[in-house]
Amino acid sequence: MITLQLLVNGLALGAAYALVALGFVLVLNATAAVNFAQGDLVMAGGLLGVALAPHLPGYLPLPGLLLLPVVLVLMAGLGLLLAAAAYLPLRRRPPVAVFISTIAAGIILQNGASVLFGPEPRAAPPLLSGGTLDLGGLVVAEQSLAIIAVAALLIAGQQWLFGRTQLGRRLRATAQDPEMARACGVPVTAMILITFALGTAFAGAAGLLLANRYFVTPTAGGDLILKAYIAVTIGGWGSVPGAVAGALLIALFEVGVSSVLSYPVALGLLYATLLVILVARPQGLFGEAARRRA
Amino acid sequence: MRRFLSILSATVFSASLLSGAARAGEASVPVLVPLTGFLSLEGTSQRNGAVLALKDAPAGVAVRSEVIDTGTSPEAAVTALERAAGGKVTAVAASMLGTQMLAMLPLAQDYGIPLVTVSGTASITDQGNPWVFRFFPGDAVTKEAHARYVTEELGRKRPAVIYQTTAYGQSGKAHLEQAFKKLGVEPVFEEGVDPAAKDLLPVLTKALAAKPDVLVLHLHSGPTALFIRQAAANGVAVPIVAGSAMHQPSTAALLEPAELKGVCAETAASPISGGSPEVEAFTAAYRAAFNAEPDAFALGQYDGIRMVLAAVQGGADSPEAVRKALSTGTHQGLAMTYKSDGKGNMAHSAVIVCYDGVSRVPAIAKRYDNLTGVVTGMVK
Repeated sequence: MITLQLLVNGLALGAAYALVALGFVLVLNATAAVNFAQGDLVMAGGLLGVALAPHLPGYLPLPGLLLLPVVLVLMAGLGLLLAAAAYLPLRRRPPVAVFISTIAAGIILQNGASVLFGPEPRAAPPLLSGGTLDLGGLVVAEQSLAIIAVAALLIAGQQWLFGRTQLGRRLRATAQDPEMARACGVPVTAMILITFALGTAFAGAAGLLLANRYFVTPTAGGDLILKAYIAVTIGGWGSVPGAVAGALLIALFEVGVSSVLSYPVALGLLYATLLVILVARPQGLFGEAARRRA
Repeated sequence: MRRFLSILSATVFSASLLSGAARAGEASVPVLVPLTGFLSLEGTSQRNGAVLALKDAPAGVAVRSEVIDTGTSPEAAVTALERAAGGKVTAVAASMLGTQMLAMLPLAQDYGIPLVTVSGTASITDQGNPWVFRFFPGDAVTKEAHARYVTEELGRKRPAVIYQTTAYGQSGKAHLEQAFKKLGVEPVFEEGVDPAAKDLLPVLTKALAAKPDVLVLHLHSGPTALFIRQAAANGVAVPIVAGSAMHQPSTAALLEPAELKGVCAETAASPISGGSPEVEAFTAAYRAAFNAEPDAFALGQYDGIRMVLAAVQGGADSPEAVRKALSTGTHQGLAMTYKSDGKGNMAHSAVIVCYDGVSRVPAIAKRYDNLTGVVTGMVK
């Protein structure tokens, strides 16, 4: 029974990590740029959830499910700002310039959050309720199930967008060859902006989902960007299914392996696994190598 | 915005309290604390405590001060101290981050500036540096109280110890081990948890498998709340006695009162629990000034700066005179009685607080005064 419970917890955590990694990989595909502010964008999404759900005396706080679309839209707007400030002015510069500018953007977000919200950990509202379900001895937090459901919906929606719509085809064309896409009449700059908006919205959703169960602080993003980076490396740079698989694998180590061994040992084994994968399959499990563009 | 303005207004301020009395002296006390980075929560409490003490300067003492954020790097702390030392300085409210303190100590000795801190890092008072004064009980004090409460008051003999893998966690774990050993108790389970761990059900499961009769935590704020929440969700009936992070109002705010039922924690003090009219007045003033709840770090730093100002009021007109007063004097603070053990450790008491499951304000369940035997005239 406890194994099942750990599995549900691991799935919920993996689903949230998958959203973080997806946002990361979307921007990577469209721009060949590593967005190192992704973890801080997750933190911003969590704190946005905290800010939008004030506990007014005599009123129930807004449930997270109502906040989710608002957070998605506001975070998409933040993504547009990020692209305009940290990527577009530097797009013709060496990749390291964007790398540094996104780190700077992350630091600005961190310190802005510290000033606005203070340093203390906070909890965003749950999507539906903060309660637990007792399924014949299996105690499952409703938030865990909600995280899995919302993440699955967002990932499926993203797959549909990319696979079944004209906009998705344009986004993919921009990701594969921006110059050719431009020659074919695709508004490449607009596509890049949309990609940043989408990636940031995913980060915001992950932030809102994580911030209820695991709390959020202004400095919480650093660890998440590392996990997103590892997930994408395990799955294969540029691979969407790979990012999801990598995220689930990290959660499996964090929750599953650490229930048998200690957490530090589980983390060590995760890094060892990453090393083995890099040696055996340098292109990652799903093997779509992102091409560097000038 | 209000928070931003309060930070801005606290960044540079000066107060002059003449109140008709003859001026007893002047005190310049820069506040150099970590307001950004991983220790910003505790650093903010530290700053607020120092700022409040300076606002409440004794009659006749004119105060000058500025607040400088030391971030998290030793270099930033050293730069801040060098900048502060450019003027006439009476004492410094110094960072609670151990690595920053260790970097500032030689400089403080060179400049001859007393450093008043609430840092818990044991080694800062083991350097033979006469300019450091710690107004917060170290792990040797708090963990003795922690272990004694578990064994003597709760009568538990099979503790499961869960600690953080950080320096803070390792130090607490080592002192807990010693304290339990002294009491003839052997933990049935011990495991370190990385602060980045998001789910603590695995460690909770393993701990319970060892059949403990009490869960002893020494974790940071977020992980403490996470552990207690998961224990409550899984109907764990084993009592939990947590580390000082639990007493912080911001930690309790993450949990429902029902989840806190029966949870206890060690700490230096719990200002929100009241206990005396003076402590209640401090708590009210703190809330009014910062729109936040005070914790033990704020109260410890407040008491430390108050002792400095009392020395100035008593005629200490130089940093050396202040150092002497801190080294040899006894100060009745709001949290406890402070006296140096000869190395700059001023705090020798701890309390255990417990939550009743109805509110997020804990009650003081047990006081442990003068655990080191340093403060004369008090019963150990």
